[in-house]
Amino acid sequence: MPTLTIDGQPITVSKGTTVIQAAEALGIYIPRYCYHPGLSIAGSCRMCLVEIEKAPRLEVACYSQAADGMVVHTITENVRLARRSVLEFLLSNHPLDCPVCDQSGECDLQNYYMEFGLYQSRFLENKIKRRKAYPIGPHVMLDNERCILCSRCVRFCDEVSKSHELGIVNRGERSEIALYEGRELNNAYSGNVIDICPVGALTERDFRFQCRVWYLNRTASICPGCARGCNIEIHYNVLRPYQSKGKRILRIKPRFNPAVNKWWICDEGRYGFRHIDASNRLRECEAQTADGVIPLGMETALKTAAAWIGESIEQHGKDSVGFFLSPELSNEDLYAILKLARHLGISKIDFRNPGEHPGFEDNFLIRGDKNPNRRGCVELGLYHRQRENGGWMAEEIKQGTLRMLVAFLQDLSLEPEFKAALVSLKRLIFVGSNSNATSEQAGLVLPSATYAEKNGSFTNFQGRAQRFERALVPLGDSLPENELIARIAAHFRMPEQPFEREQLLLDLRAEFPFFDQSTLDPPDVELAYQTTIAQREHA
Amino acid sequence: MEEIVKVPKQAEKGSGLTFWQRTYVPEIVRGLKLTAAHFFGNLAVHIFHLLGLWTEHRGAATVQYPEEMRGYSSRLRSLHRLTKRADGSPRCVACMMCETICPASCIYIVAAEHPDPNIEKYPESFDIDLGKCVFCGFCVEVCPEDAIRMDTHILDFAAYSREEMIWDIHRLLNNEPRRAEGIGQIRKMK
Amino acid sequence: MMEGLAVAAGKVAFSLFVLLNFVMLLTWAERKQSALMQDRIGANRASIFGFTWLGLFHPLADALKMVSKEDFVPAGANRGLHAVAPFVALFFALISFAAIPFGDQLWIGRHPVNLQVIDLNIGLLYVFAAMSMGVYGFVLAGWASNNNFSLLGGLRAASQMISYEITIGAAVIGLVMVFGTINLQTIVHRQGELLLGFLPAWGVFYQPLGFLLFVTAAMAETKRAPFDLPEGESEIIGYFLEYSGIKFGMFLMTDFVETVVVAGLVATLFFGGWQFPYLYRDGFHLPGGGILVLSQQVVCVIQVLTFLSKLAFFCWLSLLVRWTFPRFRYDQLIRLGWQMMLPLSILNVVVTGGVLLLLHR
Repeated sequence: MPTLTIDGQPITVSKGTTVIQAAEALGIYIPRYCYHPGLSIAGSCRMCLVEIEKAPRLEVACYSQAADGMVVHTITENVRLARRSVLEFLLSNHPLDCPVCDQSGECDLQNYYMEFGLYQSRFLENKIKRRKAYPIGPHVMLDNERCILCSRCVRFCDEVSKSHELGIVNRGERSEIALYEGRELNNAYSGNVIDICPVGALTERDFRFQCRVWYLNRTASICPGCARGCNIEIHYNVLRPYQSKGKRILRIKPRFNPAVNKWWICDEGRYGFRHIDASNRLRECEAQTADGVIPLGMETALKTAAAWIGESIEQHGKDSVGFFLSPELSNEDLYAILKLARHLGISKIDFRNPGEHPGFEDNFLIRGDKNPNRRGCVELGLYHRQRENGGWMAEEIKQGTLRMLVAFLQDLSLEPEFKAALVSLKRLIFVGSNSNATSEQAGLVLPSATYAEKNGSFTNFQGRAQRFERALVPLGDSLPENELIARIAAHFRMPEQPFEREQLLLDLRAEFPFFDQSTLDPPDVELAYQTTIAQREHA
Repeated sequence: MEEIVKVPKQAEKGSGLTFWQRTYVPEIVRGLKLTAAHFFGNLAVHIFHLLGLWTEHRGAATVQYPEEMRGYSSRLRSLHRLTKRADGSPRCVACMMCETICPASCIYIVAAEHPDPNIEKYPESFDIDLGKCVFCGFCVEVCPEDAIRMDTHILDFAAYSREEMIWDIHRLLNNEPRRAEGIGQIRKMK
Repeated sequence: MMEGLAVAAGKVAFSLFVLLNFVMLLTWAERKQSALMQDRIGANRASIFGFTWLGLFHPLADALKMVSKEDFVPAGANRGLHAVAPFVALFFALISFAAIPFGDQLWIGRHPVNLQVIDLNIGLLYVFAAMSMGVYGFVLAGWASNNNFSLLGGLRAASQMISYEITIGAAVIGLVMVFGTINLQTIVHRQGELLLGFLPAWGVFYQPLGFLLFVTAAMAETKRAPFDLPEGESEIIGYFLEYSGIKFGMFLMTDFVETVVVAGLVATLFFGGWQFPYLYRDGFHLPGGGILVLSQQVVCVIQVLTFLSKLAFFCWLSLLVRWTFPRFRYDQLIRLGWQMMLPLSILNVVVTGGVLLLLHR
């Protein structure tokens, strides 16, 4: 266990720890390009040079292992001079096209140059022209001129995605990043090379020129794409709607969480936000009448919904009403529905189980279960293995015992038995964010908010309940499901207070020991992905 | 010892005026003489002008705007224009610097991909809401491409509606500078 | 009988024609003269078929604008008095011009026609009386508008009028003592004589101090700068604050009518009215002995033109003063009236009396 001193602060670290890691543990940030905690060490950029006493010259902090009695100075005149020179070399062939570069604003070349740069260029020679702005995969653009050859992307493809598409070709000043012959950067995690690229060499095709990064707002969230529950940051632009043609969410970035997804997310999750601003979003309540579909005010619609449920219970008993839930609902939404069901005495609650058709799965992040909160449903006791797939509900509908259904989010008609059964259903209320075949059949449609538009938590397959924050105002009239439920419940003389967010959580924890405090991860903004830390340090 | 300055409680009245000044009469005559001299002098000049004589001497300081206009200082910040490349396309690369710096938030740019990867980015639309603009000139200062300038010397761009005050990229690109020869020089407009 | 009526109508028509045209031209002259004094060009844009004619169409444009503007009466105003006030003001200003002679007797055939609308023995008193009545219009306007600023303007007009009319009266007493009459035609006739054999016997030579006092006070009477406290555009806006359209225009006209009347009065009392120096009924009698015989009609025309020229000159002078001097403060205005001009005018009466007593002994 070596003990070393960095900038006057002593620290004891385990053997094999590098100086840059030890410094980070002390909260000292050392500039770097090629070093990334999730990748192997290359030591090629020379940006992290520090002064170590009794060493004949400056050493790279990312490759020097901590040794007992080591005294490190991360910021001395020599270090500054060295970093300035490194920057001068790195920029010698850089095109300095920050005005058109999507990275500007979160570019480490810009950030470090502000602190260590020379400011007065001494470069008189001609810059080497390279190939600019060409796609190397479905999601990634490459600009060889901007590249500083830190090799983070190469190492990512070799070590993390293990797909080996990228390499450095040619020698000397002719070196550049290139795809291997006949390949393209098309793996399930290709988007991460954009995040780890410290400069503007690799940029996102989807995000390209949509918005300058300093216009973006950021909110911590949880990816709803699969049961992994990767921690993400939603980047959205609401102040300048004209720039991205009305799209609010412009990109998703991974958020560091060592227990779940580390620094990475898959491409499916990265681009899984399109339904939020899609044209098929339900914006207002709708009712099916003899004259076709008519829009309703929220108040009227909720009143109607409550009246329908009430009538059905009154006339045909409590068993005539069923709730068909979705494992895409948050813990709070599910619990709110459970509360209402208990109040009304409704016991026919189930959700479709897509586990029968598992999706693509790998041994890294992507889970076959594409629902973010199945574990939550299980823990809430809503998941009945013996009544899988809700098929029994279809049977009851056909028999006429189940007369009314409140369906959440999912398209029931995808199930063959439901497709036939829905026709004989007397009344169907659909609660969801986007329209589908079921919403078109429903007698009453209540628009609900997407995960980016509400607060809540998902429980991932490991049993971590992870909270996510509201980034956007719900589109149109839509409301979070727990709020819709609370307002329907008000029509049944239920007080509002148990449906408030904090109260829901308290009750949830009290009733289900599983959801006790330790497993409810609050979104930890401090652990946001590395570039954000770098920006904060250098702001 | 500090010197004590006596502050008079009331401003002294009529101090320093001679008897004739106090009667007002000579001073009034002096004033009338001055204004009357201007009157007759200018009257004579105008009569000469009517007869077509001595026209190089202006009889009044008035500039008959908009028929006549003065040359402005080259430092004046006037209506914006977007500069062009040799092929006539805008120099602007839609970097949003001006939109970001604008204290009035009156610049609206939408960027798009340019077919030439060496240009890469160009403004699909570039609107300036002159109804909001405060003419601070920050957009010009901040522009890395010298793509926006405020040197047209056009100041008369009033319009009858808010919509007309929003200048789009085509109008901004085709703002021909209207510069006079020198500061303060008056020239006749067509 | 009919002839007398026709002649009277003609004289009234001529007098009003002169007066109103002067007023119209004054609105033009006010702009153009001030422009020339201040090295500007002045209003020159109103055009008919592209002709601008030195901006002479501006009075026309103004009149059109005034007539076509909304006639606004504020809530709570006394509608009747609000409507009457500008008429009162303008009416008395107009009729005061009637006693001012614009020529000698014109012989049409065998009938002598006095070139004066009304030949009154008490002509001077009549003019003063008419001008004093005018202030009722302003006070009424200020009071009937139901506006504190208007009321202030009306009150200022009243107190200014009282302060300066005393001086006007007192300043003229000396002149009346010299000429021994208050018939304006007679006063003009008396000024046709010669002083010391070559100097026209104009009132200004008898009464230089009286002239200065009278001109000052009479300008105050017109309520124009530097005596425009009742109007006070920059602070209280004045008695016509709540007036718009042609009613406002009438107040504006009143000011100009009063300017013309005062100019006529000054010309008549102190500068020989229609008298042209050395011109008598039969022609010029130069002091050196030369005689130029002219027909009576020609003499009459020259006399009328002389009067009009003098009128024009004093209007010009009035504008010159108005565009040269800054405003008085209100306390300065009142102090000037009561503490300087009134004592001086009384002194003028006493001295004149003394001199007359000495000369006639």
